Amino acid sequence: MSQYIVSSSPHIANKRTVSGIMLEVLIALAPAVIASVIFYGFYALFLEILSVGAAVGTEALYNRVMKRDQTVKDCSAMVTGLLLALNIPVSAPFYVPVIGSAFAILFVKMLFGGIGKNFANPAITARIFLLLAWASVMTSFVKPILWSGGAKEIFKYFACIVKGPSGLGDVAAVTSATPLASLREGAEKVKDLPLLAMFLGNTGGSLGETSALAVLLGGVYLIIRRIIDWRVPTVYLATVALFAMIYGAAKGAVGAYILPSLLGGGLMLGAFFMATDYATSPNTKTGLVVYAVGLGLITSLIRFFGNYPEGVSFAILLMNIVTPFIDKFIRPRPFGFVKQGKGGAK
Amino acid sequence: MFTLRAFTCYNIDVFGGIDLKFTFKRGIHPAGNKQISKDVPLAVFPTPAVVSIPLSQHIGAPAALAVAVGDEVKVGTLLGKSASFVSANVFSSVSGKVTSVVKKRTAIGTKCDHVVIENDGRYEEVFLPALSEITAETVKARVAEAGIVGMGGATFPTHVKLSPRTPVDVLIINAAECEPYITCDYRLCLEKAKEIMEGVRYMMIALGVDVAYIGVEDNKPDAVRALSEVAPENVRVLSLVTKYPQGAEKQLIYSVTRRVVPEGGLPADVGVVVDNVHTAFAVYEAVALNKPSYQRAMTVSGRMCERPGNYFVRNGVSYEDIASYAGMKEGTMKVISGGPMMGFAQADLAPSTGKGTSSLLFLNDDEISDGDKPISACINCASCASHCPMRLMPMFIERAVEEEDASKAKALHALSCLECGCCAYVCPASRPLVLSMRRAKKLIKEKGV
Repeated sequence: MSQYIVSSSPHIANKRTVSGIMLEVLIALAPAVIASVIFYGFYALFLEILSVGAAVGTEALYNRVMKRDQTVKDCSAMVTGLLLALNIPVSAPFYVPVIGSAFAILFVKMLFGGIGKNFANPAITARIFLLLAWASVMTSFVKPILWSGGAKEIFKYFACIVKGPSGLGDVAAVTSATPLASLREGAEKVKDLPLLAMFLGNTGGSLGETSALAVLLGGVYLIIRRIIDWRVPTVYLATVALFAMIYGAAKGAVGAYILPSLLGGGLMLGAFFMATDYATSPNTKTGLVVYAVGLGLITSLIRFFGNYPEGVSFAILLMNIVTPFIDKFIRPRPFGFVKQGKGGAK
Repeated sequence: MFTLRAFTCYNIDVFGGIDLKFTFKRGIHPAGNKQISKDVPLAVFPTPAVVSIPLSQHIGAPAALAVAVGDEVKVGTLLGKSASFVSANVFSSVSGKVTSVVKKRTAIGTKCDHVVIENDGRYEEVFLPALSEITAETVKARVAEAGIVGMGGATFPTHVKLSPRTPVDVLIINAAECEPYITCDYRLCLEKAKEIMEGVRYMMIALGVDVAYIGVEDNKPDAVRALSEVAPENVRVLSLVTKYPQGAEKQLIYSVTRRVVPEGGLPADVGVVVDNVHTAFAVYEAVALNKPSYQRAMTVSGRMCERPGNYFVRNGVSYEDIASYAGMKEGTMKVISGGPMMGFAQADLAPSTGKGTSSLLFLNDDEISDGDKPISACINCASCASHCPMRLMPMFIERAVEEEDASKAKALHALSCLECGCCAYVCPASRPLVLSMRRAKKLIKEKGV
């Protein structure tokens, strides 16, 4: 043994680590978590903690059982768990985020080899799984709480803990229509949408989707910290806006659809936090643009012409699957690249 | 900040008009740490009583032993004769007696013969004969005769570079010194600007070029000033953007001329020859002073060094002697010959200095990255690709190496890798990517794809 460390160059490195990146994402999600508590009370926080716990627990247990190195310290399971919780309505019973997180970590992440090896975003895939398994729970949206209403009001959604939306008893409190569903009901209805409420979050929706502002704050933070590439959210949102404009023009109201499309549903959360997953998005800047345009198109097509009111999850899952092909066909040309068989460089 | 950098690509008034800033795309910004040694003037390193001079201080064939044990040598006596075109003469750096020839490990980990000389402390000199006239041919012959190699660290024999296979029109002198810590070229620019300019003139004569550029990173404005003051009209001193690896040959050519060296090609293919600023100084000494290459300016630095500084060190001084003179502190974690990005970690202090030893660093735990980041699986963040100055995709090359797929590695252009280390520097999963790149090259060579 030598008295000095002998290792390959480089001998210095920057400070960014995997867990550091994941912690930055958690910081960026803080505004959305805070918004979910403001609008839906402490049951929202309870679901989020449960979901994170289930995700971390599943990964830890899997590693233990399979005798793999423990990887929970990289914090990526926490991000998956929290993202999944933010995709669930507050009226969900406690087992929905637990089962969803366990599904995301076990079937989408760990069975494919763990971090970096998953073919699709775990949280998105789990959301789709939950949507199919508990359709009514996943599409029942309730009204925000009133903080002036006392403890009973602030904690009222704990009534959903076992029975889900039916635990509320009051059918009128449950509305199945999110603002997004109005998109297909004609330009008049779209014009009546409460845009400010959709931006701030004072409306029905899942925990993290309700406030576009909160998600936007976190997303901008991630871009500034250079955790995510600005291209994906920017091009994704721009494509959706452009499509909404064209659709609006066909309906005789050019501008009417743009803001509802951008602010409604899971678009913001998907564009900044889910579509930007490293493992499932292309590795080149050009590839990212192609990917983001694809996301925008699929999202808009499902929203305006499909059977589901929301298309973000399906768009991300589909484009995740396309990602390896994008990476196969879009490769950066090395510095000094010479095309073979064309006479070489000058 | 990320956006500001994107908008400052345009620099007003470079040559009296709007021009691009002198830089390349991608790369990294490591902490420079040059303040440790930059203000210490070049001093003569006290040569110890015994030196052991490696016969391979250059890329190419080791020099053939030209002395025998027991011979009396002087400063400038030929110890090893250039063994082929791509090789270089090796000279004695002291006067005294050859006591033995031993096989020893060099700083880069290979073994070669070292001529061990007992230093009599008199430093009697036998230099080369004076040149009767200065022409392209005589300068080239003198550079070969004097054993001059690329002194930036690559140690490629300079006479080969001065005989390009295609005509060239530009000489670029590399004074970027983009590696952290190293300041010997900077000191040389400040203290020997006139001599450097003479050397550049001789090299321009040898190459028959009309224009030369000297590229200095803009974190050394006083070096730019010192060189500019003595630069003739056809030598332009350029302030380059401070970014690693600004001093990498192909990147420097792009920064200065916007020419792109084709993959697998040489700078001469785009009409350029690049030489290090210290090489220019060595050419001056060989042509004007008839001095062969037997010593060099060298930085000794790092936070575990009590007396960091810049020294003229004769070839063959052991790292042990440098460590004791510069005051290597107890608890040094890593000893690096060269810079922290591309230098070689030393297992012990046995190797000796040579023509390419630009620095010796004594580093503590805080300065090095070993153990700082947990090594985890690749998370596919593509940081390595987005910082690679050669626009490669290191994460895919690493995967090809794991699959032992040589043709895939080659298709991913692994052979173009500079091993500059940007990929490993930024990797959040702390993947040993440079090691993978080396393994990829080896694999391609072995399988002959």
